[in-house]
Amino acid sequence: MSIKLVLRLAWRDWRGGELGLLLVALMLAVGTVTAVSLFVDRLHQALIDESADFLAADRRISGSRPIPDEFRLAASAKGVEHADTMSFPSMVFVGDDNSQLVSVKAVGAGYPLRGVLKIADEPFAPGVPTSDIPAPGEVWLDARLFPALGIRPGDSIEVGVAPLKVAKVLTSEPDRGGSMYDLGPRLLMRLDDVPATQVVQPGSRIAYRLLLRGAESDLESLKAELPLAPNYRWQGIRESSPSIGSALARAESFLLLGGLLGVLLAGVAVALSAHRYALRHYDHVGILKTLGATPNQILSGYLMLLLAVGSAAVVLGLTGGAALHLGIVALLQSLIPVDLPMPSARPFLLGAATGLICAVAFALPPLLHLKNVSPMRVIRRDLGAAPPSQYLSYGAAVAGSVGLLIWYSGSASLTAWTILGTVVVLLVFGALAMLLLRGGRAVGMQAGSGWRLALAGLQRRRRENVAQILIFGLAIMLLLILVLLRSSLLDEWQGQVPEDAPNHFVLNIVPHEVDELATMLDDFTGSHGGLFPMIRGRIVAANGVDADAWERDHQPVDAPGPRLQSERNLTWAADLPDDNQVVKGRWWSPDEARALVSLEDEYAQSLGLDVGDRLRFDIAGRFVEVEVASLRRLDWESMRPNFFIIFAPQVLSDFPATYMTSFHLERDEKPFLNRFLARFPTVTVIEVDAIIAQVQSIILRVTQAVELVLALVVASGCLVLVASIQASRDGRMSELALVRTLGGSRRLIAGSLVAEFAALGLFAGTVAVVGAEATVAILQSQVFELPVRLHPWLWLLGPVIGSVLILIVGTLGTRGLISTPPVMVLRGLD
Amino acid sequence: MESIDLEINAGETVAIVGASGSGKTTLLGILAGLDLPTSGRVYLVGEELTALDEEQRARVRGEQVGFVFQTFQLLRSLTALENVMLPGELRGDGDAQPEALRVLDKVGLGARTGHYPTQLSGGEQQRVAIARAFASRPNVLFADEPTGNLDTATGQRIIDLLFELNAEYATTLVLVTHDDRLASRCERVVEIVAGRITS
Repeated sequence: MSIKLVLRLAWRDWRGGELGLLLVALMLAVGTVTAVSLFVDRLHQALIDESADFLAADRRISGSRPIPDEFRLAASAKGVEHADTMSFPSMVFVGDDNSQLVSVKAVGAGYPLRGVLKIADEPFAPGVPTSDIPAPGEVWLDARLFPALGIRPGDSIEVGVAPLKVAKVLTSEPDRGGSMYDLGPRLLMRLDDVPATQVVQPGSRIAYRLLLRGAESDLESLKAELPLAPNYRWQGIRESSPSIGSALARAESFLLLGGLLGVLLAGVAVALSAHRYALRHYDHVGILKTLGATPNQILSGYLMLLLAVGSAAVVLGLTGGAALHLGIVALLQSLIPVDLPMPSARPFLLGAATGLICAVAFALPPLLHLKNVSPMRVIRRDLGAAPPSQYLSYGAAVAGSVGLLIWYSGSASLTAWTILGTVVVLLVFGALAMLLLRGGRAVGMQAGSGWRLALAGLQRRRRENVAQILIFGLAIMLLLILVLLRSSLLDEWQGQVPEDAPNHFVLNIVPHEVDELATMLDDFTGSHGGLFPMIRGRIVAANGVDADAWERDHQPVDAPGPRLQSERNLTWAADLPDDNQVVKGRWWSPDEARALVSLEDEYAQSLGLDVGDRLRFDIAGRFVEVEVASLRRLDWESMRPNFFIIFAPQVLSDFPATYMTSFHLERDEKPFLNRFLARFPTVTVIEVDAIIAQVQSIILRVTQAVELVLALVVASGCLVLVASIQASRDGRMSELALVRTLGGSRRLIAGSLVAEFAALGLFAGTVAVVGAEATVAILQSQVFELPVRLHPWLWLLGPVIGSVLILIVGTLGTRGLISTPPVMVLRGLD
Repeated sequence: MESIDLEINAGETVAIVGASGSGKTTLLGILAGLDLPTSGRVYLVGEELTALDEEQRARVRGEQVGFVFQTFQLLRSLTALENVMLPGELRGDGDAQPEALRVLDKVGLGARTGHYPTQLSGGEQQRVAIARAFASRPNVLFADEPTGNLDTATGQRIIDLLFELNAEYATTLVLVTHDDRLASRCERVVEIVAGRITS
């Protein structure tokens, strides 16, 4: 057939309204995928950009030795922007009397590469963003330092041997949250002023960082090229801030899962409408064949038609998807107070490819089938197509789904679990659906005529109905899964940072201040997070092996996580801290005399340490040998003081230590800090409420994204319901016409339709609940790493949702059936 | 079907009659190349249909054969004119429209060319089907119960039209029917009983 003839036939078909359903299904598939992935892509990009603020860069290289020049040259060669920072603790002096331990950060031009510095002219005044760094000879200080040192802006302080002018108050810096135990209030200065201070001596503990900003691909190729091992570590947002990293990772998993389910549902809708289109074209093809159309002409004709419809669907779907996503963005503008970056080409490619793959995998097999329709069908209606290619149809659909899933999710494990879940669920659903239909028929024999008709109808079209229960059940199951995962993820996220989580940390509390300070905190805030002694120290040997060698043998150089030799905050405790849980070994009794230590479980595992191992510590120049007595699990995201290493009390009792604690302060209670610092000028207060607020804002945005994806997936699910009911419409129409011809009243028919859809929904809802519980249990334990929980309320809700949903869509979709005069239907049956 | 030995000459009019289920429709399908016998040979206008594949048989049908069916078999989404143009378009004829209009005029539907099948009566639909069959100037016309779905008066007019055009186009006519009036208009009547030709 010529392309012209095909297009004319298609146009005439379109007027007949039959091609429309296929086009709409394909278009909605493309549109949904495009809208979801456009939104996800942009939001994801925005979340990454915002999260990058925590690093003040896209990536950074850290080390305890100066960053070699070759790193900077390599970064420049790739067009990656870079800036240097150096952090170290130091004492600052004002005259002879006043001194304070500060955490110095020296920064080079360009800092920060992401996020902004905020400064103020007066201590405790609100900060304003600046794009500058301190001028030569000047420093910016934390507000805390002004009362502690008794100075005003414009005064001079000494860092090492260099006098520097205090120019501004530093109110916020983007990468402050990178390490909570970057102790002491901040002093920000220029990198080129550091040599004059002479504080950097051989053996000084300094964190050198090279901040990097550039395109993903450039950063990745830079990482591959640099000789980072063994002295430097490459850090992205995931490595540097576990709480943001895991929230992002979970959000990504969830959004992908949502998109992935949307694709599956869209595929089912396309397959259903293509199947119906093909079925309605059997006669068409039979007639064309008697008129001389050859099988090849039929084949090429329908291929061209599909290509035309597919292309139109892609163009319309992409446009519609883009418009839909713009609508969503506009709708949520006030809720998403972040500038969304321009989308990449990927969502459009994804949408277009989804359309073409859906067309080929889901719509093509039933259309290919058409060339086998016998021309004899025009005189013998019982002849369909030659039985064929079921393997081809299902094979193509399965291959298409798998391909789309893998490509779309980019995650083999997520895809594998989804497919495994779907296969198991289909098998179980099939068996369950058969049982329900049989049971329904038996019950129906005892019921009124409307129900009897409905249940007999369900049982009679058993194959179709098992398929429909599977599709409905699957769609409802996917919705339930999303609802379940959404609520459990949100609960978990919100639970991560409780409302009254400590948002201020107090460090450098000397022993004689402890009691008074605790009383003051209790009086004002009602409670504090417990007082922990703290002392700095590091591991120098494990089981008699030098720490350097041990680290080489047990920890890959580029492995994320803490290093064995790093200097750490050590504490001691008689009782196991709240929120901590011993997972191996046992906690000591309060009067334990042996030299024991307890390690955090993951820390110990990443370093190859276990209960019974012996560790040698260097603490303030003295060596201490201890045995690992227990491994603990704790919640790092709880924002409470947490320690990798806890000693038994006797071991460190004669070491000089300072104490730390934490407390919660509302925003409007901030002035308390001034009173507090005036009373205890030498302690250091770290305000983490800003970090917590940032974490919460990210969680909020992730939640909104999740809700949007959920809404779009619900829409895809409804499309499947509509397509599925449309697909069975012709069969139902002829049956109901016969019943009416034989004297069935409209009421009986309406009643039987209602009963049939309600029963179908009930069955589908029941199997959906079984599937959803099982899948969620697997996903929670394997993908999201959440505890497994059953949901009794679901067992009531699932069947009700199923019945109501299918009843509404079903009765709307079959409204015309009741009002069509039977004679018209029967004439059409010839 | 068994032991079928049937030869139909060019220009002949033949009626195949028999009870329901006797096999007359199956025979028509095989003669027209819509179906293949499990054994034996069939020739149509010099071509051995049984030696051709479906692709080649479709081509032969397009070039040599016209059909009229009991249930009309018009494409519902096409107008009367478009239905009549279809065989020509499938063959790749440059412009099928003038001939289609001419034949439609001949069957008395010159004023209803833009109507869809659902807007036409049964008799009118069958006239469109007859126009479609003759529009491609076939050598052989196969008709399956062409009056089966029509009332007596309409059926009579359709019979008249069919034979009138058949004579004008000098077409070989093979029809399957229960209708004695229709069978009696044919030069030869072939009766089938249980898959065998009895006369």
